[in-house]
Amino acid sequence: MVGLRGAEQVAHRLEAYLSGVRKGNHELTPAGIDSLLEGVAYLRSATDAVRGNAYPPDASPVLTSLNAGLSTAAGSPSTSPPPAAEIARPNPTDKAKAAIEAAHANGRPIWRVEFVPSKELAERGVNVTTVRARLSQFGDIVHAEPMPLGAGGIAFRFYVAGQPESEKEPPAEDGLKVELVLPEAEPAREQAVASPRAFSNVVRVDLARLDDLMRMVGDLVLSRAKLENGLARVADRLPTSERRRLEEVVHGFDRQLRDLREAVMRTRMVAVRELFARMRLVVRDLTRDSGKAIDLVTVGDETEIDKYLVERMAEPLLHLVRNAVSHGIETSAERATAGKQPRGRIELRASAAAGIVSLEIKDDGQGIAAEAVLAKARQQGLITESAGLDAGTVLDLLCTPGFSTRDEADRGSERGVGMDSVRRTVEDLGGRLALDYRAGEGTRFVVQLPLTLVIADVLTVQVAGQTFAIAQSAVREVIPVDPATVTRLENNELIRHQGKALPLVQLCDVFGSPRPSGAFVALVVGEGPAAVAFGADRALGLREVVVRPLSDPLVQVPGLGGATEMGEGRPILILDPSGLLRLSRRRVLQPSAVRG
Amino acid sequence: MAADATTYVLFELAGTAYAIPSSDVQRMEMVEEITPVPNAPAYVEGGVITRGKVVPAVNLRMRFGFERAEFTLATRLIVVAQGSRLVGLIVDSAREFVKISAEAIQPPPEALAGTSGRYVRGVASATDRLILILDVAGVVDAAA
Repeated sequence: MVGLRGAEQVAHRLEAYLSGVRKGNHELTPAGIDSLLEGVAYLRSATDAVRGNAYPPDASPVLTSLNAGLSTAAGSPSTSPPPAAEIARPNPTDKAKAAIEAAHANGRPIWRVEFVPSKELAERGVNVTTVRARLSQFGDIVHAEPMPLGAGGIAFRFYVAGQPESEKEPPAEDGLKVELVLPEAEPAREQAVASPRAFSNVVRVDLARLDDLMRMVGDLVLSRAKLENGLARVADRLPTSERRRLEEVVHGFDRQLRDLREAVMRTRMVAVRELFARMRLVVRDLTRDSGKAIDLVTVGDETEIDKYLVERMAEPLLHLVRNAVSHGIETSAERATAGKQPRGRIELRASAAAGIVSLEIKDDGQGIAAEAVLAKARQQGLITESAGLDAGTVLDLLCTPGFSTRDEADRGSERGVGMDSVRRTVEDLGGRLALDYRAGEGTRFVVQLPLTLVIADVLTVQVAGQTFAIAQSAVREVIPVDPATVTRLENNELIRHQGKALPLVQLCDVFGSPRPSGAFVALVVGEGPAAVAFGADRALGLREVVVRPLSDPLVQVPGLGGATEMGEGRPILILDPSGLLRLSRRRVLQPSAVRG
Repeated sequence: MAADATTYVLFELAGTAYAIPSSDVQRMEMVEEITPVPNAPAYVEGGVITRGKVVPAVNLRMRFGFERAEFTLATRLIVVAQGSRLVGLIVDSAREFVKISAEAIQPPPEALAGTSGRYVRGVASATDRLILILDVAGVVDAAA
């Protein structure tokens, strides 16, 4: 492993710097972070090279730049003076450190020798000069520093390099305190072992294995449903006591299954910390380019969400954070003019409650120029002149594919996904996106997602005689409708509900099936101005089901989010409310677009 | 029989014999519960669920531009694997396995007319009839 010497040196350099930060010897500075990242990038390329049986790239340029970056970073020693009595403080100052490291690199042991002069010692002819001379005979004094003691006293600390590979200690008489200084990496490792976190019994598991487990639990849920159905069929023919006993078994099974399901779910959960940490890097990169000063604050880092959600949410979150940096936060000068703190602030907040996880992206920037958004939308013919100014409308517009309020895309917004894709991803995950802003004060996006995806509570409904399921969480209300009360308006139908008019979308129309006559039910989906009623023949009941994806392109159609089994051996299709909405909007615009 | 002979599943569709390499065939079953999938292509009869997966059931008659026929006791669903996908093909009947050697298969004639020509990879002549070797990839390609 000859070629890895450079990588080793880089790694040591980084480790030494980090351990210094951890101990509070120096502060983590932007230059230091840049150097760390540079070093990590080098290590990555070196390991890649070795994996590919190639020689790792030359480390010397990286090392030079690391030494420059890390020493400037380390060059500002912690501002608070060391407490007076702290002579035994084992941390060498930064200047001493470089010398020590150089000696360590040459394989020489370093001894820390502390000398406290006193009257008695002076009378015996032992003073700092004699100590220095004595130590010089033993080895090379690589660094010496005086240290103030309480009550005007003083002590001296010497760092002495011994002979390479030699175990010989400097003489420790005359009140000299002698201690071996270990290379920086060593104490760091010791400390890691001592901390309980290193032994937290963490097992890394391939996500695919957890998916398998989840699928098996899903199969069990299905078996339970079959068992319950079977029991219901024969219940009448069983003696009461027998039936009771079986019912108890099924109930117990049910409970155990829920526990098992939760336990498996928990193993899939990871803290959002990692996701948030990624955002920190993005903000750093963007602020360096834009010259804005931004603090990123994260709250709820320990909130756990499904690993799958973490992966799927990375891109949308990235986009929202980029938007906050490039469109939300103003430059320091603009902020000062507006009477704000010169440093902008972006807050990422995660929380989980009642089966819903919320991710919040909040900035204290200029908010959203709603007027400009509306003007642009009017100009593009997306809305009517009279359309209102509420946040929901603004969000709808921002999420319209191709809509942008900026004519020139800057780096932050030109890359990656657009707002339409952000909302699409959130909705595909069964969640919703909300917007909240105040001109001049800031913008807040809230993403709400269901904690679990694989097993869902659904409402089963009948559409043109076929059974469908829809996520119970998506349906706000089920209301019976008398067809005579439906108001028709050109291509649209409206029903009255709680004093308001709700647009009605007949699912049988969307699916190209004939409309059954007579009373039907309306499933109210969405809130506020986005609320819509889906018309179905009737509601059948509530079920807990295992959601299977519709992964084959031949059955991937808009408006359907998956399928499930209910023990009858045939799939029941699961409706996707957001897809249905898109489908119905398209239908209203171009009535022939769907049925083709 | 030549050493490089491959086993094929023979099936019947609108009076013509077709063959699929048996290694592509996951299983064959009676056509039972198919759930119609609204707004799917017309030749997709619907979806069936097998081993927890939703598998599209393609009506091969309609895929090839023939009249849709009522299902009978002989109707079969042949579930074929294509890459990571599983697709069910509904055929009039399927019973036999045959071994066909590679030399016995010829490229489809240029003049092979009709929609089905696009989904045929070759033609094999057996003792008493011609067998069309199905190009599974072409059949299950949603874009085609």
